Amino acid sequence: MMQVSGDVQIIKEDNVTHSFCGLACVGWMYQKIKDSFFLILGTHTCAHFLQNALGMMIFAKPRFGIALMEEGDLSKNEPTLEEIIREIKADHNPSVIFLLSSCTPEVMKVDFKGLAHHLSTPDVPVLFVPASGLVYNFTQAEDSVLHALVPFCPVAPAGQKSVVFLGSVNDATADDLRAEAEELGIHVAGFLPESRFDNMPAIGPDTVLAPIQPYLSRVAVKLERERGARVLHSLFPFGPDGSRVFWEDLAREFGITIDLRDREKAAWEKIRTQTDLLKDKKVFLTADTMMELPLARFLKSAGADVVECSSAYINKKFHARELEALAGIRVVEQPNFHRQLEDVKRIQPDLIVTSLMTANPFAGHGFVVKWSMEFMLMPIHSWSGVIPLANLFVSPLHRRSRLPAFDKEVWLEGVMPSAE
Amino acid sequence: MRLAFWLYEGTALHGISRVTNSMKRVHTVYHAPQGDDYITATYSMLERTPDFPGLSISVVRGRDLAQGVSRLPGTLQQVDHHYHPDLTVIAPSCSTALLQEDLQQLTVHSGLPLEKTLVYALNPFRVSENEAADGLFTELVKRYAAPLEKTALPSVNLLGFTSLGFHLRANLTSLRRMLQTLGIAVNVVAPWGAGIEDLKKLPAAWLNIAPYREIGLTAAEYLAETFAMPAIYEAPIGVEPTLAWLRSVIEKLNKTGAERGVPPITLPKLSAFSLDGLSAPSGVPWFARTADMESFSNKRAFVFGDATHTVAIVKFLRDELGMKIIGAGTYMERHADWVRKELEGYLPGALIVTDRFQDVAKIIDDEMPDLVCGTQMERHSCRKLDVPCMVICPPTHIENHLLGYYPFFGFDGCDVIADRVYLSCKLGLEKHLIDFFGDAGLEYEENGVAASPEVDLSTGNMHIEPEVEVEQEAAAVTEDGEMKWSDDAETMLKKVPFFVRKKVRKNTDTFARSIGASIVTVDVFRKAKESLGG
Repeated sequence: MMQVSGDVQIIKEDNVTHSFCGLACVGWMYQKIKDSFFLILGTHTCAHFLQNALGMMIFAKPRFGIALMEEGDLSKNEPTLEEIIREIKADHNPSVIFLLSSCTPEVMKVDFKGLAHHLSTPDVPVLFVPASGLVYNFTQAEDSVLHALVPFCPVAPAGQKSVVFLGSVNDATADDLRAEAEELGIHVAGFLPESRFDNMPAIGPDTVLAPIQPYLSRVAVKLERERGARVLHSLFPFGPDGSRVFWEDLAREFGITIDLRDREKAAWEKIRTQTDLLKDKKVFLTADTMMELPLARFLKSAGADVVECSSAYINKKFHARELEALAGIRVVEQPNFHRQLEDVKRIQPDLIVTSLMTANPFAGHGFVVKWSMEFMLMPIHSWSGVIPLANLFVSPLHRRSRLPAFDKEVWLEGVMPSAE
Repeated sequence: MRLAFWLYEGTALHGISRVTNSMKRVHTVYHAPQGDDYITATYSMLERTPDFPGLSISVVRGRDLAQGVSRLPGTLQQVDHHYHPDLTVIAPSCSTALLQEDLQQLTVHSGLPLEKTLVYALNPFRVSENEAADGLFTELVKRYAAPLEKTALPSVNLLGFTSLGFHLRANLTSLRRMLQTLGIAVNVVAPWGAGIEDLKKLPAAWLNIAPYREIGLTAAEYLAETFAMPAIYEAPIGVEPTLAWLRSVIEKLNKTGAERGVPPITLPKLSAFSLDGLSAPSGVPWFARTADMESFSNKRAFVFGDATHTVAIVKFLRDELGMKIIGAGTYMERHADWVRKELEGYLPGALIVTDRFQDVAKIIDDEMPDLVCGTQMERHSCRKLDVPCMVICPPTHIENHLLGYYPFFGFDGCDVIADRVYLSCKLGLEKHLIDFFGDAGLEYEENGVAASPEVDLSTGNMHIEPEVEVEQEAAAVTEDGEMKWSDDAETMLKKVPFFVRKKVRKNTDTFARSIGASIVTVDVFRKAKESLGG
């Protein structure tokens, strides 16, 4: 069942691309875990990234900050963070502090594990979260955060079989998923992560872990190994196709046989105008958030012509079912952006799903674009997410068709003097 | 080591890319880990670039370090193959700078002709955005500027105009308009829109104009020293500074003109500088004398920003609008001495020099000025306090990257700045009426103001703003910091105009504490009013 079918070829390139590092996860994780503080041991670059690229504005004292390494700190053996931890505790009274690594201290070989251990107290643990761009891309550091949370998930004794959904989603989506599972007769033990640190779900040998985000392979493996939990290997619950397979497979884990084909059909029916528009449209996904595989699979099921699906990281086991469903589609891991530019020019896709860095320039070249990051900030999970998901793809196509004709010789003149 | 939430200046890499992103056929390759090219988003989104900024990353991964592999030569070849730049600037990021690699050697390995590459390896722990940008620009000018015959007619270079500069395009337009009115040609604008060939042409101009203290000044000084080119370093912000700037431009060009036998330039009737060519070039001098603006004499302004704009705006507010300056500061420590000297006699106390926004927010909170001129950070701090604020310099927000013509330079700029001051401040006569009669039916605005959501579209879109946190914060303050008020004292406070209510509450709290009261009653409130003159 988990075998990658023979005809899925993953092309691997050199990652000369445009995307964010793992620190990006702070953007949503600090809001998800409401009694937390995210402390990045980093430099001016890390601070500038968070405040600019993520557009995270600071009103009062946010629940994330940078322990700023300055020149004088480079010669010290180990960073001294006691004072900063004291300040954070006094101002925020967090239940947990996540200590995120970044490139500079990693190059300096700072012993993060030792550091976190040393700073931890029984009341307020300090948990090491590897996040640097030397290893991690964009969403991958959520995997690291969940990894760090594992010891704080109580051990569920053998006995009642229940599901723990793996991945951070907003409360409304979590409620939907929980209700859906319960309706199917599946006992829900919770979500990893829950929105409070003291409320992490119990996980044990009779827990089924259902990954609902496609970038959490490491924590899944860890829980499998350490707690004997079973990881659901299915499609991710996006789109009518993904939702049907996900819920049917999950139910099967609980010995429940259900047939959701009618429901899937009804869901496709609900987005018929959207899929009519997407049919045969050439869609190109450049690598960014690591949600690309399931998004491409939904597009393929919806009748679109996915001309390339690239992702920064592909795990053949964790993504097996998605890869199988993508058979016949060009899948690239760690793509080279220069090569992609040439292919885009040649293929002339109808829609490009791409990063914040590259969206406007593609639009300037006449293409219709969608920010890849938007898919992370919209409720696109399961049945209730079907319409928002379909709309995200069609809205830029609609918008383009509503705008008047555009002569770029006229309207782009002088807009970018460096490009003339 | 310190806990930082937000910083004013960007990194050295940001400074470097601001220069190269301004230029034609110049590319930057970051030798950096995944994600360090996030900077690209600041151009493609804030400047809405319709083409790909000339920035590529040569990714350094942990595994490469372990295996001693460098992808840099390969990336340089790719960039050359795909974009054919005239020059590729190679720069390390903070983490790779620590590796102490020989980037020059790696660049040689790429096989690219050396004259088409420039390794610009600064110490990112010591050098920040503006210094890096100024430094790289100077380096490029030194590399390419060559002795050249002067242009036959008077011409100038406009130096220091750089990608993401504050109201950059409009400022350029304003300067071009004034120069055109005088019949002066623009030889080169750099780095904005310039190619390598343009840099070579710099010495053909008669005069350099480098209005920004932060970027371009060092290059102009180099050109003055090496090619004996005169320069003007003042920023034409405000009516009097613009007039002085025009006279200075004319005087310096005429000096060269006299040597070269070119007829002198004269200052035309000032209406020639207006948009319609028929009117006063700026409305500010008359505006400042109108009865309406009389109330501005009592308005207390606080200014915080980079060096160029802090100096210019303090002078404009005091000298041309007749406002009171209660304090000023800069985050540009490198230029603090210059700012201090320029503002001698303007400030009631010492110049504030800090790169911690919390320090600035605290001053604003303590002083509750009638107007704050600052960066986007002050805009945020002020919104929380309901203090009027206008943004006068970087760091900016997408809201400061508008489509319309809003220069700060020249006569056109004077009107823009004055309009913004006027719209930002609480109004004159209206305020008198409210002061006199209380709420004047405007009570509803309080809720309106408090409830206005902060929609952040800056560059990224993770704009789920922690608005809730602000409320929590406010609640916490009430618990520990603020005094309790009796119901009738609260009712009495409601009679105070809404926009000064916060300030009155704060002052009364302080007064109550000073007399040892545990609760603000009507009596305490009255005593406070008597004592504080409110």
